[in-house]
Formats: sequence, structure tokens, C-alpha cells
Amino acid sequence: MKTDLYDYIKAAQKMNRRQMLKGTAALSAAAMLPKGAAQAAAHGNVRAEILKIPGVGAGSPTDSDWQKVGEMTLGATKENVAEGEFEGVELTFMGLNNQNLHNFLFRGFLKPWETYTGAKINWIDLAQADYNARLQQSIATGTVDFDIIEMGAPFEGDVLGKGLASEMPDWVKEQIDMDDYVDYLKAPVGTWGGKTYRVSIDGDCHTFAYRKDYFGPEGIAGPDVPSTWQEINQMTKDLVGKEDPLTGLPAHGYLDPLKGWGGFGFYFLENRAAAYAKHPNSPAWLFDPETMTPMVNNPAWVQAIQDVMDLIEAGAYPTDQINADPGTTAFQQFLAGTGSMLMWWGDVGSSARTSDTSVVGDVVGFGINPASDRVYNAQAGAWEDTMNEAPNMAYIGWGVYVMATVEGDEKKKKAAWSAAAHLGGKDLSLWASAYPSGFQPYRNSHFQYDEWEAAGYDRAFIEDYLGSNADSYNHPNAAIEPRIPGIFQYYSVAEDELAKGYAGQYGSAQETADAIAAAWEKITDQIGRENQIAIYKESLGL
Amino acid sequence: MSTDGDLLHTVTADDISNNRKRLGKLMVWGTAGLCAGMALWQLAYETGHIGNGFDNWRPILYAYVLWATALCAAQVIVNGEKGKRTLFVLPAALFVISLVVFPLLFALYISFTDWNLASPNGPQPNGWDNMREMWNDQFYWNALKNMVYYVLAVSVEYVIAFGLALLLNAQIRARKFFRVVFLLPLMLSPVAVSWMIGKSMLEVRFGPVSRVIREFGGEPSFFGSPEIARFMIMAMDAWTFIPFMMIMLLAGLQALPREVIEASKVDGATGWQSFKEVIFPLMLPVSVTAIVIRIIFKLKLADVIINVTSGGPGGATDSVTSFIFREYRDRSNVGYGTLLAMVYLVLIVIFVTLLLKLVSRWMERPA
Repeated sequence: MKTDLYDYIKAAQKMNRRQMLKGTAALSAAAMLPKGAAQAAAHGNVRAEILKIPGVGAGSPTDSDWQKVGEMTLGATKENVAEGEFEGVELTFMGLNNQNLHNFLFRGFLKPWETYTGAKINWIDLAQADYNARLQQSIATGTVDFDIIEMGAPFEGDVLGKGLASEMPDWVKEQIDMDDYVDYLKAPVGTWGGKTYRVSIDGDCHTFAYRKDYFGPEGIAGPDVPSTWQEINQMTKDLVGKEDPLTGLPAHGYLDPLKGWGGFGFYFLENRAAAYAKHPNSPAWLFDPETMTPMVNNPAWVQAIQDVMDLIEAGAYPTDQINADPGTTAFQQFLAGTGSMLMWWGDVGSSARTSDTSVVGDVVGFGINPASDRVYNAQAGAWEDTMNEAPNMAYIGWGVYVMATVEGDEKKKKAAWSAAAHLGGKDLSLWASAYPSGFQPYRNSHFQYDEWEAAGYDRAFIEDYLGSNADSYNHPNAAIEPRIPGIFQYYSVAEDELAKGYAGQYGSAQETADAIAAAWEKITDQIGRENQIAIYKESLGL
Repeated sequence: MSTDGDLLHTVTADDISNNRKRLGKLMVWGTAGLCAGMALWQLAYETGHIGNGFDNWRPILYAYVLWATALCAAQVIVNGEKGKRTLFVLPAALFVISLVVFPLLFALYISFTDWNLASPNGPQPNGWDNMREMWNDQFYWNALKNMVYYVLAVSVEYVIAFGLALLLNAQIRARKFFRVVFLLPLMLSPVAVSWMIGKSMLEVRFGPVSRVIREFGGEPSFFGSPEIARFMIMAMDAWTFIPFMMIMLLAGLQALPREVIEASKVDGATGWQSFKEVIFPLMLPVSVTAIVIRIIFKLKLADVIINVTSGGPGGATDSVTSFIFREYRDRSNVGYGTLLAMVYLVLIVIFVTLLLKLVSRWMERPA
């Protein structure tokens, strides 16, 4: 769980000792079941017991808590690895140090694993901003100096596509129970050439956050929360000149970030475009998988860009929106009471009740990416007047991968995979979903709300909040980004061209989209078209 | 003992045998040959002409270090006491050459390749393609155009800095206090300035400056239009670096000969005449130095832009450096990005050389 989400939930449900004891008592009662039942429920008991460390509402977990969780979840490891089996093995793990989470937790989780197996892990900690450059340079210069890496799925094209990772052994698949993954994290994500490489430890998607006080019988935006982009655009235009019910300042509808964000800003245009462009008949919605011809200038994408331009033209955005990146729209606008609708990662609206600058904590609601009342069928080259939903699985989430550096040394390879499997274990991941860790729930078992309730969480809130994530993850028409080399290069150059388009330097949305397409063609040629086609198809599972 | 050459700094006698000299030369040429041979071998291996070679270029680096060490040692072996004197400078010179000249040559090579870190093929020479792309790259030319605006803004900064320096040089109350206060912005990192001012004080909704403007009935917008956004970037950069020019000019003012200024007053010059005819001309060398250094600072302008506007709206605030930053960091486009940087380097060298020539001609003295 992301730190801000944890804080939010604590604040949202006003956790007290009584609730804590209620949850604990329920777990204790379960522990008093007859022996046979207790054995069958041993797995369940571990889950319940680790959720008590340190206890929801009992402050942020520390290194000793992480070690306790790591110790209590070693059961699966012990089934596959003998004590001291990896004596003398040294592994190097490269990961992030964001918010003192990620690698900091991994150290704690793996400490008991190291003690049990006898292996030793050396750590490479990276700031998020340095991550991409470090990884790309390691790959490009052939200096991969790590055996295990924490990596986002968008980089799979760079790493798996170049054969730099080690294939997951079958015993690991069993140990981590991959069938439990939410749908979109199953193959082809994490796989390459039919082989599996990724131990998922996180899930990511954009969900819809809205201000409840804008809607309802007296709401200034209308009685119902919009469910399509067409409705959102109309409401956003209609709100011009009205007054925000909470702040008394000018009311605004949907908040599009109009400034780039190191490539990540493109995800926000994708949210709109997904509903128009992601037809259920194909997983491809950014490039033609046969030629890598960009689809970004087809009528669906042009419509998405045109929507934004229309809202600029209508004066529907807050002042200086042209200089607002996604960080601004979320934290300086939506949470501070400006605007009424937003798409963001599932964990960001969570700051609503805990951030000092947030004023919308009591009036925020969640949903999945809005639909469109028509969808563009790229294969037929025509619009279809059917309702289309396509949640945007932006960034896909973090995973743990073992590098090919371990190949040729079976002991080292098994050790590396055992460490990765421990971090992606079913029980351990539940704890990581429920406490500050930097990771979102990503398994179907993470959405068993009874467990959350027993641990002391407020059920209604958890269902509302995490429900929007679960619905997005398991959506049959989820829009998955291509895991091709240099994907953020495409996004970054698109941001530059969009900025020009939004500033009025191109004549139309079509011209802007054409400029993006031309820039994407250049990148594809530079990286190698044939190679990109092969990898793109592979990443889509075609 | 030799009685020829520079004896002034000679401490011990040098009686170097021919064998010793030969040994020294052998060391130098032997290690140089080894280094060159290994480099050629590796090059042949990497280009596929031979089947055996090293995994990477590190052994060649070791051979280079061996050659450098041998070169240093040979100075003493061949030249004795004189060589020891050379040894004071040679390692530093070799170090600079290694870290400046080699990377520059490597960068020159890289800039004529299509190296994209995401490409599986690594750097492949692509002739003049990058140059042609640069020629057609509207983002680069736009950034260069912006740099002209940014550099021209130095003239305004100079006027303000001169005015402040004159004030702080005058007999005013709390002069030392103001000198320290006016220097404070220079002590801040431009990154801090961009966050504290650009992202906080000028934040449209709750930034204090915005609130004041709203109180007076205005609608604040600092980065909405290209002109105002560019001006705000200039203003933030100027706020940080005007104190730098000011302190240089103040030092110049304090070094002016008092008697010349007093003589002008005795001759009946007004304050303006004294400034125009005496102080300003005498301050020209300092002024030129301050302006040139400030322009060099300005040509590196990037951090404020990256943090506040990311070059927007629509590229209106982009500097060459911030654009190259995006090419490198966000797009891993090493070959093209390096070419842009090399071209920018050449433009800067030409510009600064011309500037210094003009100034020296204007001042009728070598700059």
C-alpha cells in the first residue's frame, strides 16, 4: 500500500482501539478452531497474523516489523529450499529508495530469508529520477551489475526483449500462485516469447476521482456523476461561470494536465483516448502491430486531443492550466478544491483526508475510467456507435525480475529466484497491500474485503476505494501499454508536440496528432522498426 | 657535473648514461606501442575483423595508465633532475587530457552516430543525419531563438546591477546590512528558487503573489502566455544572478581611484557627468568581465525552466540546455543529443570569441 493511502484510510475511518480489538478478537477466535481445521486454516492464520504487525492505526511499520513479516511468511520458501542451501551465494539487488520504502522493505523482508538460506544480498538503491538512466546505461553499455531488479513492466521490452533476464522456473510459479493475479497482470504481461519472467509485486491503473458535492439534486454539475467522456466534456463546459460549492471560487469540471511530466503526462491523454481508441477487437491501440505505424493520429486520438482543445477554447480550465502538469492537477488543484473531476493513479486521491492542503476529503468519490458512447474501430476504419469502456493500466506496476547474470550457476539462480518469490509471495504481498510499502493490491485475494475488515479496516470505504481498482484491473477491455523498448521516449516527444498544439502553434488537433505520429516514426526508425514490430507483437501476445 | 643549461634550480648533478636514456625511451615507446597495439586489436575485434578480443575496453585503459606512468617515470630516468621538475606538472596535464580531450573526442564520435540507449544495435555511425535532423528541428531552433532573448536580458540585468552597486557604494544607512541582504539570492540554488518562487509564490491559486493580485481585482497568470512566461523565467534567473554582477561591479567601484573622481568634482562636474565621463569608462573592464561571465552563466540556463515550465507553453521558455536535457533524460537519444550539445559548444565558442574581440577593439586594449 502506498503511504498516503494508508494515512488516508486511517484518517478516513477514524480507527480507534475498539475497532482494533474487534478485528483482533475475530482473528483470535479463528485461531481457537479445532486442530484439523487449524491446519487447513494455517495459511489463513498467517495472513491474519501478519496483518496485525504492527496493527492498522498503530503507527508506521519499522524495520523490525518488516523482518517479522518476512520471518512469518517464510513457509513457502522452506518448502522449496533447505536451510543453509545457499551458503556462500552473494546476490546484488537493484531497486528504488522512494519515500524510504521499496528497497528498505525488501531488506527487512529478506533478512530472515538470508538467515535461513545462508545467502547474502548486496543492495543498489536508486532514486526514481535516476532509475531509467541507470537501467538504460547498464543495458546499452553491457554492464548489468545486478542479479535481481525491481522494475516496472514498461521496461520489459528493454530487458526481456534483449534476453537479459532469466526465465522463471516452474517451482517459483507454484510458490507465488500466479493464478491469483488480477487479469491484466497475467500473460502477456511479465512474459516474453511464451516464457515467464516477472514476479509481480504491484499493480497500477488510473481511476476516476470526482467531487460528490458537484453532483446530486442540488449539484451545480447535474444530478448524476458522468459516466462518459462526452458527458464530462459537456459538464466541464457548462460549469464555466459557476461557483465552487466548497471554496466559493470559480467552479471547474475535468482537469486535464496540459504540461508534460517527463513522459508520464501522456498517460492522461491516454485516459481519454482509451475510451475512443481501445476497441475490444484488438489489444493494439497505440501502434499498428504489423507496421508500427502510429495510431496516435487516427480519428479516435484526434478526438481526444480535440476534446482538450475545445475545453481550452471554452475557457473551462483554471488559469495557467497550460503550465499544469499531472502533479499540479492532483495536488494543487483537485485536492485543494479546484476542479471536480480527475483521473489519476489509484493511490493519489488517497491524500484527500491526510494532506494539509486538501479540502475535499469528505466529498471525494471513485470510479473507473469513463466510457465513450462511440468507439473507433481501427481495423474497419470507422466509428461504431456502441458504448466502450477501457480502463487505462498506466505503468502496469512494479515487479521483481532475475537477470541472466545468474545463468550458468544453478545454486545462484535458485537463490535469486527464491528471493524474488519470497518478495512476491501471496501472504507477504497482502501485508504490503495493507501497509505503507509503495505497492498497490494486485491479486484477486487482495480484494477479499473480509480480511481487511478483520484487520480493522472500514469495509465500506475499502469496498468503495479498492473496488474501483479491482474493477479496472479485471476489465475485459483494459488498455495495456506496450512494453516496447523506449516507450517513454514516445511519450516524452508526444508531450512536447501536445504542448505546442495546446499552445495553438498547430492549426488543429489533426496537425498536432500528425506531428506526434511523425516524431514516433522517427523514434521507431532509430530504435529499429523490425525489432520494434517483433517486440510490440510479443508484448501484446499476438 | 654538467655545466650546461639551467643550473639555477639544479640541486644534484646529472650524469645520465646513454643506457639509462635508452631505457627511459624504451619504457615510453614500449608502453605506447602496447597501448596502441591493444587498442587496434580491440578495435579490430569489435568491428568483427578478428575473432579474439577483450570483453570490454578496460584493459586498454589499464595499458593507457601504464603508458602514462611510464612517461612520468621516464622523465626522471632520461632527464634526471630536470625531469623531476617536469614531473610536478605532467601527471596533472595527463589527467586533464584524459578527462577533457578524450571525452570530447568520444563525444564528437557519438554525435555522428544514431545511438539511442533503447536501440539493440548500440551506436551506429549515421553520417550527417543528425546534422540534417537538427537543421529541421523546430524545437532546437526555437530554443536557440529563446537563448537570444535570454542573453539580451543580461543588458537589463547589468543596468539594475550597476544601479544597485552604485547605491551600495554610496554613503547610505545600514550599508553593510543591505550588501548582505542583496547577496542572499545568489546563495540560493536556482532549483530552490524555481520551487520557492515559480512553483509556490507564483502558484496561481494559493500563491501569495497571486492572492495579492486577486485582492486588487486582477486575474493572476504567470505562465499562461509565451511572453509573460518567458519574462517570468528571465525575472527569476535575474533575481538569482543580479547580485553576482552587483558584487563584481561594487568591487570595481571600490577600487576606483578616489582622486580622479574628486578631481572631476573640483572641475565642476555634476553627479551624472561624473558618472558618465569618469566612473562608467573606468568601470568598463570590470563591466565587460561581469557581463561576459554572466552571459556564460546564462547560456547554461536550464534548471529553473525544467522545474517551472518544462520549456512551455509550447516551447516559449525552452533553453537549449533544457531541450537537450529532455532529449537525453526522457528520450535516451544520446547520439542526437550529443550533436546538439557539440553544435551549441561551437556556437558558444564562436560567440564568446567574437564578443571578446569586439570588446577588446572597443576598449582598445586586449581583453
